[in-house]
Amino acid sequence: MPPTGLEPCRMNRKKGDKGFESPRPYKLTHQVVCINNINFQRKSVVGFVELTIFPTVANLNRIKLNSKQCRIYRVRVNDLEAAFIYNDPTLEVCHHESKQRNLNYFSNAYAAAVSAVDPDAGNGELCIKVPSELWKHVDELKVLKVHINFSLDQPKGGLHFVVPNVEGSMAERGAHVFSCGYQNSTRFWFPCVDSYSELCTWKLEYTVDAAMVAVSNGDLVETIYTHDMRKKTFHYMLTIPTAASNISLAIGPFEILVDPYMHEVTHFCLPQLLPLLKHTTSYLHEVFEFYEEILTCRYPYSCFKTVFIDEAYVEVAAYASMSIFSTNLLHSAMIIDETPLTRRCLAQSLAQQFFGCFISRMSWSDEWVLKGISGYIYGLWMKKTFGVNEYRHWIKEELDQIVAYELKTGGVLLHPIFGGGKEKDNPASHLHFSIKHPHTLSWEYYTMFQCKAHLVMRLIENRISMEFMLQVFNKLLSLASTASSQKFQSHMWSQMLVSTSGFLKSISNVSGKDIQPLIKQWVDQSGVVKFYGSFAFNRKRNVLELEIKQDYTSPGTQKYVGPLKVTVQELDGSFNHTLQIEENSLKHDIPCHSKSRRNKKKKIPLMNGEEVDMDLSAMDADSPLLWIRIDPDMSVLRKVEFEQSDFMWQYQLRYERDVVAQEESILALEKFPTPASRLALTDILEQEQCFYRVRMLACFCLAKIANSMVSTWTGPPAMKSLFTRMFCCKTCPNIVKTNNFMSFQSYFLQKTMPVAMALLRDVHNLCPKEVLTFILDLIKYNDNRKNKFSDNYYRAEMIDALANSVTPAVSVNNEVRTLDNLNPDVRLILEEITRFLNMEKLLPSYRHTITVSCLRAIRVLQKNGHVPSDPALFKSYAEYGHFVDIRIAALEAVVDYTKVDRSYEELQWLLTMIQNDPVPYVRHKILNMLTRNPPFTKNMDSPLCNEALVDQLWKLMNSGTSHDWRLRCGAVDLYFTLFGLSRPSCLPLPELGLVLNLKEKKAVLNPTIIPEAVAGSQEPVSNLNSHTQLIGFQNAEEDHLAKEASANLSAHQQGVKRKSDTPLGSPLEPGQILEKNDDNSKVKLKIRFSNSQEEEEVDMDTVHDSQAFIYHHLNMLERPSTPGLSKVRPASSRSVLMPQHSPGCDVTASAKPQWGMDLSRKGIGKEQSALEMNVLSVPATPLSAFTKEPSSSKHSDHHHHHHHEHKKKKKKHKHKHKHKHKHDSKEKEKETFTFSNSPASGRSVRSPSLSD
Amino acid sequence: PTATAGAGGSGSKQDSTPEDNYYLAWRRRLQVVVSSLLTEAGFESAQKASVETLTEMLQSYLLEIGRSAKSYCEHTARTQPTLSDIVVTLVEMGFNVETLPAYAMRSQRMVITAPPVTSGPVTPKALTARQKKSHPPHVPSHFPEFPDPHTYIKTPMYHEPLSDYQVLREKAASQRRDVERALTRFMAKTGKTQSLFKDDVSTFPLIAARPFTIPYLTALLPSELEMQQMEETDSLEQDEQTDTEILPLHINMDESSAEKENASVLQQNASLSGSQTGEENLIDNPYLRPVKKPKICGEVN
Repeated sequence: MPPTGLEPCRMNRKKGDKGFESPRPYKLTHQVVCINNINFQRKSVVGFVELTIFPTVANLNRIKLNSKQCRIYRVRVNDLEAAFIYNDPTLEVCHHESKQRNLNYFSNAYAAAVSAVDPDAGNGELCIKVPSELWKHVDELKVLKVHINFSLDQPKGGLHFVVPNVEGSMAERGAHVFSCGYQNSTRFWFPCVDSYSELCTWKLEYTVDAAMVAVSNGDLVETIYTHDMRKKTFHYMLTIPTAASNISLAIGPFEILVDPYMHEVTHFCLPQLLPLLKHTTSYLHEVFEFYEEILTCRYPYSCFKTVFIDEAYVEVAAYASMSIFSTNLLHSAMIIDETPLTRRCLAQSLAQQFFGCFISRMSWSDEWVLKGISGYIYGLWMKKTFGVNEYRHWIKEELDQIVAYELKTGGVLLHPIFGGGKEKDNPASHLHFSIKHPHTLSWEYYTMFQCKAHLVMRLIENRISMEFMLQVFNKLLSLASTASSQKFQSHMWSQMLVSTSGFLKSISNVSGKDIQPLIKQWVDQSGVVKFYGSFAFNRKRNVLELEIKQDYTSPGTQKYVGPLKVTVQELDGSFNHTLQIEENSLKHDIPCHSKSRRNKKKKIPLMNGEEVDMDLSAMDADSPLLWIRIDPDMSVLRKVEFEQSDFMWQYQLRYERDVVAQEESILALEKFPTPASRLALTDILEQEQCFYRVRMLACFCLAKIANSMVSTWTGPPAMKSLFTRMFCCKTCPNIVKTNNFMSFQSYFLQKTMPVAMALLRDVHNLCPKEVLTFILDLIKYNDNRKNKFSDNYYRAEMIDALANSVTPAVSVNNEVRTLDNLNPDVRLILEEITRFLNMEKLLPSYRHTITVSCLRAIRVLQKNGHVPSDPALFKSYAEYGHFVDIRIAALEAVVDYTKVDRSYEELQWLLTMIQNDPVPYVRHKILNMLTRNPPFTKNMDSPLCNEALVDQLWKLMNSGTSHDWRLRCGAVDLYFTLFGLSRPSCLPLPELGLVLNLKEKKAVLNPTIIPEAVAGSQEPVSNLNSHTQLIGFQNAEEDHLAKEASANLSAHQQGVKRKSDTPLGSPLEPGQILEKNDDNSKVKLKIRFSNSQEEEEVDMDTVHDSQAFIYHHLNMLERPSTPGLSKVRPASSRSVLMPQHSPGCDVTASAKPQWGMDLSRKGIGKEQSALEMNVLSVPATPLSAFTKEPSSSKHSDHHHHHHHEHKKKKKKHKHKHKHKHKHDSKEKEKETFTFSNSPASGRSVRSPSLSD
Repeated sequence: PTATAGAGGSGSKQDSTPEDNYYLAWRRRLQVVVSSLLTEAGFESAQKASVETLTEMLQSYLLEIGRSAKSYCEHTARTQPTLSDIVVTLVEMGFNVETLPAYAMRSQRMVITAPPVTSGPVTPKALTARQKKSHPPHVPSHFPEFPDPHTYIKTPMYHEPLSDYQVLREKAASQRRDVERALTRFMAKTGKTQSLFKDDVSTFPLIAARPFTIPYLTALLPSELEMQQMEETDSLEQDEQTDTEILPLHINMDESSAEKENASVLQQNASLSGSQTGEENLIDNPYLRPVKKPKICGEVN
């Protein structure tokens, strides 16, 4: 590549944000990954990487790469040993004993930590110094080869080892390993630029046991035995430029299946599963065909691989030219329920191959385009495969989900724009996490984000037509594929990256339409629309007066202005009206077409042209309106609450042909328990042509209606005669026909109806005996011998039905639950459950669906007081070694038990599992379930909520989950659910007082206070403390500071925009900082930022030392707990705290003795000590130079202000909170000072002398 | 014949017990058999010692057949060996049973005269039905007669079968339930259990949860029972195939129809991918290629 080629090119394209500008001072063109040893026993990996990079600036002297977990042995640049340092601030977000414990603080710190190593900001955990011998070489912008030897020992994230504990060789045991993770997580298993926007070509080599297969990206060029013939090396080449984050690996004793329809597609599964694999993948070629056809573009890679592995991190993970699936998606031809699900997974992953893998994104804020397009074309596939009904149902489902989520949490923003510096308009202030990085997102938020992305894509399609939409996609793909073939022009590769603006440009070029308003509404802004509709019919004017109100003040809502379609079904036909929703107009007059009276006995034309006879007797005689629908095409992301009378809903259910309308009317009818509703629902149930999901939904609605009508209900229980007619023998109506599931619609209905029936209740609020007997009979006479399909899902649903029939036990004086007082009905149920559960041990069902249902049913019996509540059974099923579905069901029961019985022991057990379980998915799931069904929430008094738990959870999210982004975010979610954003209420009062103080003081913020004063006030404190306690240590600390100051400036500049006159990487003298910047506050901030890297410069000069440094860090990684050294600091910082509140208030036993001394000392007078501190600090640290006037009196006056100012700053500059303990302790002390003067502090017990 | 008679006479007259007599008679008989076999094989004379040896061998061979047949019969919980027990025994001993009928009916075989008839206890004559079957030519006439025809002749009986569907279903259901219940109870009794009630472990015994080393195998692979069932129904389905295709299915999972579609798709796809059409053996997939031997001079890697 001509190195100079890059610059001009970038110049032209760089206008606004449409071109891509690399955040790095170099361009990566090629990377070699060679893993020459994989040890399954020890779960370790040894290998090297070699990156070929071209500097793009002359003075490049540091190369920042991403690497986590890896132990780096040696780095060479062009064969010269290079010094390097390794620093990962995300290992421990807030350092040591910072007693903050509030989530606001944590989230900011975490976001800062993530961005400090964010490759998209040019950062990384690994910083390599280019050997000085090469500087001249670099100045000529010549190629550099960075060779890194690394190893990985027992990785906790990124690579997952599955090693079953049985006899035999690793291959016989089915041991395998695969890469996994959330978003860009490749850095967990080899050093790289872990960004979706840094593309390069790849050479991948894996040496594995001869019985194993290594599957990776690109083309398998050759496989060669090693000399001893016991291992072989797989050589892969990936010539299409690909981001490191899209590189993956799976190694195991896989069975290989070449796709019979497409020979370049290969499928892999674990031993013994080949027949399932054959069946499961037999459909894949049709998906391929579909996408290639609609995109008019061939699949971009020359080959495709699917690998099915155990203990999957997610069900589907798409990487360049290969997808990794959960082995649990495999199924045989006998399984009905799993088949569509698995096909959907396959189709999803394939859509992501085009958009996500082949076409990558420029930055995180462009993620929505990729997720949107892949989700959208996946939707098109759904429509083609499963039909329009299923598609519309899915869209409705997704829409409901996103609406519910946004209304609950306050909004999902697709395209966050992070203006540099101006952080005031934080786009996601309603959330408890930062949306600046994928790695700080709650998993649920990300799921909803993807959901919204494809819905918005659909809205764009509505606007510009599908044809144009597909043209846009085709254009993106063909541009990318041209770019990808430019082997030696890596600057062209950025064409393979999609950006929001590029995408929108494409749309306007292709369609000529302006979709800016749409984008502004749904992409640049969060929230959904909430409509309330009602109407009146004006007979005189023959006009429908529609009133549409909006709620745009509640969280998660936004105002909608623009067109809105309303469909009115009248006697004379169906009419569409497009209303303009404007600021202040609520009423809309819609003229009606129908003048005819209905006694004319005419057929009524429907929307689809069909003409039907209707019984119009239920109708209002004066009005020609049959039903009204607002936004029938779901072209707004909205929730509609519409009021129309029950007969209108009934007509809508019976005669509207759109499944969404039918489902809406079913939900609405729940509120109208009348015989007419009952009839409408029953008719729908019986209608064979009706979409099966609508019929299933109707079952549940009918059950609800029946319950509301219980006193007037006549005839057999709802649905019973219907079921008998449809599924039972003609001659003996109490016996169900032998199973024949050939008609899937009937099958789904047959499964669902008993489950819904079990929800029926009689006047005593008990399940009617008749219904229970009916279900028991269904189970008894179930006969699957002649069926082509497995009935495991059916039987599982029968158990669900039994569980649904359970009602709370009548308890006399809280008697203990024993067998003797067991309800006879429950005895029957229990008998069935016991038999089913036991039979599963002998003849297990597919995916153990029956065990799962039994466990749930047992929990229901426990919860309703029929069976003693006891988690022991569930705990045994939750053990590692059970099938994952069983484990999740059992864990769910334990989570529920923990909540209901407020069991501290169980909570601890769950937390232990979160920390130690071998399966990442299970750990994630437990957190997720605890969040959804929390043992307590904030503002709730619970014996479980105590300081130890806070500490435990804090530790979990702070350092215990550093190896898994998803898990850490899950821990944050849980913390939020339990304690909220602010400091947990169960923590001791003093620090709570501090928080209050902050709020109160907000109004008195004095902007004239310069931030330096804060610095000055902090610095001395720490000095004092370390001085008084640890003089020897103090010096070292000061040294750090000195270097830090210099290092950080440069580090910062590298990260942000570089000024041309700043010589990069040549460390400035500490004093220089002041000269360079006249704005002092800026200087201060920079130094803050640098804290994160304070140790960086320490040993940059010797390779030896840097290795030692890494070693140290790796040790820390293994032992996340605070190393001994740092323990001193929190203690020291705390000692200052002491005088402010009475001893014993916040004192932990271990620290007590030390503090006594400080207390007395402090008691003498704050002023004196503060002065002393400053004096001490001056000679030692250059930082004190910033302290303009460290007078203690002034300082004490302005505590709150400083503090407040600081708070504000904190928001602005996330970097500020850095993770080195020292800084934390500063932070800490500042807080305490503030506290000392706060009015709130008066609430705590104080020494009288001070309050005077 | 004289030798036999003599032996029989002397055995019975001397000081002997009935067992000894029996044993001697048996022994004589075997000697006669051995002698006749020898004659048949073309010998004109034989030394006493060799006849004795051969007799020993024959005796132990027959004893082994008897012993083994008895174990087979006891193994299947019967007391009387049947023909199949003997056959299995012979097979087990390495004897080619198929040659036996031919051997029995060989033309040059010597007929050994019938032993003296000791009139046994006269069994009261049961009601006879029809004529007893006479012996085939290769069976000596002193062998026991065939039993009454009714003992082996099949009488087609048309008992009114349980035709009531309801009763049948009822029966099948309760039978299966009983079996399942008994089986699970047995399993629960013989292994570790869990219980929902602390005070009672026997009413609802749950077989204890036992983790697997490879949990996904049991969860995903159909059990043998299901496999068998599937094969059965598959063969049944053959005829019904036409019905199934008419069914309006939302999810088209019917393999046969999918198969048909695929057949047409195959060609398209093949041309699309540029690989050779048809020939399955020409599949060029890198994972099917043989692993290369390492080069002798150090490989890159």
